[in-house]
Amino acid sequence: MEKIISVKEWSLAIRLNHWAMACSIFILIVTGFYIATPFTIGQGETVDKFFMGHVRFVHLLFGVILVFLFIWRIYLALFSRFHADWKDFLAFTNIKNFIHQIKFYLLVTKEGPQYKTLYGPLQSLAYLGLLFMVFVICVTGLILMGAGYDAGFSSVAYTILRPVETLLGGLAMVRTIHHIFTWFFILFIVVHIYMAFWYDFVLKKGTVSSMISGNIFKKVKE
Amino acid sequence: MAKGMNSEYKKMIDKQYRDLMKHCQSHMEQVEKELPEPRENLHELLEKRGVSRRDFVKWTSAMTVALMLPPIFKPLVAKAAENFSRLPVVWLHFAECTGCSEAFLRASYPNVDDILLETISLEYHETLMAASGDQAEACLEKAIHDFEGKFICVIEGALPRGLNGQYLRIGPKGKTGIEIAKEVTSKAGAVICIGSCSAFGNIQSANPNPTDSVSISKALGISTVNIAGCPPNAVNFTGTLLHYLMFGGLPALDGLGRPIWAYGKRIHDYCERRPHYDASEFVEEWGDAGALKGWCLYKVGCKGPYTYANCGKVRFNDGISWPIMAGHGCIGCTEPDFWDTMAPLEKPLPDKSLGFTDATADKVGIALTAATAAGIAVHAAASVIRHRNDDRVNKPEDLQEEKHD
Repeated sequence: MEKIISVKEWSLAIRLNHWAMACSIFILIVTGFYIATPFTIGQGETVDKFFMGHVRFVHLLFGVILVFLFIWRIYLALFSRFHADWKDFLAFTNIKNFIHQIKFYLLVTKEGPQYKTLYGPLQSLAYLGLLFMVFVICVTGLILMGAGYDAGFSSVAYTILRPVETLLGGLAMVRTIHHIFTWFFILFIVVHIYMAFWYDFVLKKGTVSSMISGNIFKKVKE
Repeated sequence: MAKGMNSEYKKMIDKQYRDLMKHCQSHMEQVEKELPEPRENLHELLEKRGVSRRDFVKWTSAMTVALMLPPIFKPLVAKAAENFSRLPVVWLHFAECTGCSEAFLRASYPNVDDILLETISLEYHETLMAASGDQAEACLEKAIHDFEGKFICVIEGALPRGLNGQYLRIGPKGKTGIEIAKEVTSKAGAVICIGSCSAFGNIQSANPNPTDSVSISKALGISTVNIAGCPPNAVNFTGTLLHYLMFGGLPALDGLGRPIWAYGKRIHDYCERRPHYDASEFVEEWGDAGALKGWCLYKVGCKGPYTYANCGKVRFNDGISWPIMAGHGCIGCTEPDFWDTMAPLEKPLPDKSLGFTDATADKVGIALTAATAAGIAVHAAASVIRHRNDDRVNKPEDLQEEKHD
């Protein structure tokens, strides 16, 4: 006889981090596209308008928030008291599972591979990629922001990151990289949301709600 | 407490400047002893050219500020200007258009910067010197020999490395650019690269770069002072030379070898059209209503946000105007590889094509997202069919049956 039990999978910190990151990234993409391709506001006097200024403020604010969320996420991966998941990011190293997982995704097999890690083999690779993307977008963002400031956090960050700008070949290249990585985020989000829904549909473990409640359903034999 | 700290800080700054002043004075004395007498009397020359004493004093103030020095340094800047023609300069031309020399030498009417550059003790300058052929070569050899370790080597133009440097041969002996550059720079007191060609390679090294042209520092593996720009502002060059004369050393440089006093801030930071940027007022196309009102040129390709230079502060042609003031966006000519990284010059960066395709990042992004969405739709439909029988177990009816039991 099988019994379904509810098991805690995500700590509150991870869930807060996830949704805060999701919100910041969404806001950053919207404001970022405005900064890249703005529309003109023709009405009114110049002194009364500050739209680009406000959009840039929101973009910079959530950009800095994203930097700290990233640092928090890395901290959780290494030192979380509930489950430090840094080892789970290496699930892709299991080649047998990796191939099995691809077969499962391509609907060749009906059952996915068995793994004890928090993430599946392809999932771990995708999340490592996401962490790398957040890292690159944060570094390039801090360079682009810091270039305009003389004091404070952004200026300190810029002083440290200026050699990276020189290495990449100037602010224009930094900005191009920043823009291209935005599209990687969009692609990631589309696939990520679909895969969460797909898992929920196929495995029926409550994958989508687990990132809200923290719990996932598991079948155990009595 | 805060006040006490402030005065402490002020004392420290005062002491720093006093020390700097002392260093500067002793260095100037040394310069007057060691270097040859000034070729020309600057004040006589200024008078002859119709520049009044008052104009000269005004120029000293502006230059002191430009060099980020406090007003007490004004007399020293004036003194350095008087001694300007003591400094022996060897000016080399490689793969370039001589536009930088032209920009420095031609002005609507001579101002102090231009006159200073005319008084410069040019030991060798290919386009300006009277000598030619073997005589010119002799001049160069003499200058290198006489002022070894003291002269300033100013370089205009990139160095082509292709075909073992044979894309560029100069002089009666047909030496390659790289040979001449190696020979001269190894004996120079300092190497100043004028213009983006010598500083970063500029258009010669733009993709696909058939002659394999590179900057001086990359070709020779030396560090240079880069007065970037296409052409650079004369103020940035005279200021750097004055700094060398005053302090016996080169000014603080950024990671790309550009003096921080001139290239420490972006065009965007000093732009007079910046308020229109923040107010979302953009010129949409050339000559539209926004252009007439002097709105921001970001959408017609201004690269000011990515460009470090002081054009907006010092301007060109005696401070009359500069590109953004004239109504065209900045093309980013002080940045490395700007023909590649800033292109297209009259469109914003999102319109830049990705290297491997003509399409822009946005177009590729939209296409990839659409392809992903289509893939997801197919996969979702296939998944529904493939996993349609998974929920046979635990149907509600089964559970009810269990209850009845």
